[in-house]
Amino acid sequence: MANIFKKVFFVDFLKGLSLTLRYEVSKSITMRYPDEEKWLPYQRFRGLHTLNRDSQGRELCVACELCAKTCPTKCITVVPMEDDKGIGISDRIAKVYEINLVRCMFCGLCEDACPTTAIRMGRDYELACFSLDCAKAEKKRLLAPKEIPQELDGGYVIKARFERTKEGLKVRPDLSKKKRWW
Amino acid sequence: MSHELITMDINTLIEVALIIVKVIFVSLTLFALPIPLTWMERKVAGHIQLRLGPFRVGPHGILQPVADMIKLMFKEDIVPDKADRRLFWLAPLLAMVPAFAVYAAIPFGDTVKIPFVDKEITLYISDMNVGILYILAISGMSVYGLILGGWASNSKYAAMGGIRSSAQMISYEIALSFACVAVVMIANSLSLLDIVNAQKELHWNIIYQPLGFIIFLIAALAEINRIPFDLPEDEGTLAAGYHVEYSAMKFSFFMLAEYVAMVTVSVLAVILFFGGWNAPLFLPEIPIFWFVAKVAFFIYFFMWIRFTLPRYRYDQLMTIGWKILLPLSLLNILVTGLFLL
Repeated sequence: MANIFKKVFFVDFLKGLSLTLRYEVSKSITMRYPDEEKWLPYQRFRGLHTLNRDSQGRELCVACELCAKTCPTKCITVVPMEDDKGIGISDRIAKVYEINLVRCMFCGLCEDACPTTAIRMGRDYELACFSLDCAKAEKKRLLAPKEIPQELDGGYVIKARFERTKEGLKVRPDLSKKKRWW
Repeated sequence: MSHELITMDINTLIEVALIIVKVIFVSLTLFALPIPLTWMERKVAGHIQLRLGPFRVGPHGILQPVADMIKLMFKEDIVPDKADRRLFWLAPLLAMVPAFAVYAAIPFGDTVKIPFVDKEITLYISDMNVGILYILAISGMSVYGLILGGWASNSKYAAMGGIRSSAQMISYEIALSFACVAVVMIANSLSLLDIVNAQKELHWNIIYQPLGFIIFLIAALAEINRIPFDLPEDEGTLAAGYHVEYSAMKFSFFMLAEYVAMVTVSVLAVILFFGGWNAPLFLPEIPIFWFVAKVAFFIYFFMWIRFTLPRYRYDQLMTIGWKILLPLSLLNILVTGLFLL
């Protein structure tokens, strides 16, 4: 009896239609990356490496080459040099510190091996580029201050702006406006 | 004497010119309609599936159909090697022309007075006394485009699609016509103008003919080959059905015909069951506005259904057509007749 009622009054159809109507008016889950929004990863995210400084601005890296030794893909090149001008925390600093991003698999072993927490995996994940030159991260690039501060927690979507510059495409985040995604 | 003759001539000339203007206006509107409709369909689809739909071309992707149109125009027009070239060329036209020809008999409103000139014009191209018969006959013709297109392609998928569409049309045309017959019985006229005028002051046929309306709606969905009855172009089993071999503008003609058919069915549903241009619930009468609003609702409804329901199996389609809709529509006519007595 209930079955006949269901069929005659199209109960199942109406249920389905009301469900799709509810979906229609609910918010879309599409992230408008790169035009308007950008995913800000968690702190544990393993993106482009960063070389860090201590609170006095001295380089933490002592060029011990442990990261280069532990690297499974052998993508890190470290050339040490002696220095007495106080650039680093000791009198041994890296003359060359270069990561070949094409070979790097972002496993994070370098970060674990580092005795001075000089190298850390950062949160920059927009690494695509037009030539292999920019796939090499040299010391200057790794030491440069980061757009996203390390203390900031992640795991949400932030407003962003898409930019076309001569250097390439860039998505500039706006850290003040965050929103939970999904 | 001669002066009188001249004025009469001018009047008839104006009438003829008016009809030509109306024909051009209606057909241009119909040609342009798929542009917003494809955009709307993709937006509805996107939002129902929690996506955004087209977003990149123009604000909210509003220019996407224009981009699609340009793409279709510049695509290579492929004709299969062993196709029947003449029929292959003719089929899209056969699908498209009846879809447009239907509008010769469709009234969009009663009459409006043009300000300043003080002349009344009728909002229809012609008021045929067999309007509904003409519409059913002409819209039934468009199935030839599908069948011949499927046949001329010389491809098994296309042929299957064509055959399916012919069987589907035959099954559902009957139920559709019978649903219309009950409406005709109430209005006592085949003219669409009379049918609408019989529904004045909220005496809409949907109140007297709820069963007829449901039969009409289901049969109409099958007639215009939309989900849940889009078996002639069933992607799962037939790739693209009858138009699998078509490309470029020929393909777009089929799509155009399909969208115009959807509009036709929405217009028919409004005229036959929802009081045409009569305003709902004692709201003020505005020429054309209510008509367009109701038609837009039905178009939305068809899109809504498309992204809600799954496709029926072919034997289910035939069962619904012959074993359920046909007896029900006959019963509907019988009951309507008894009430009228």
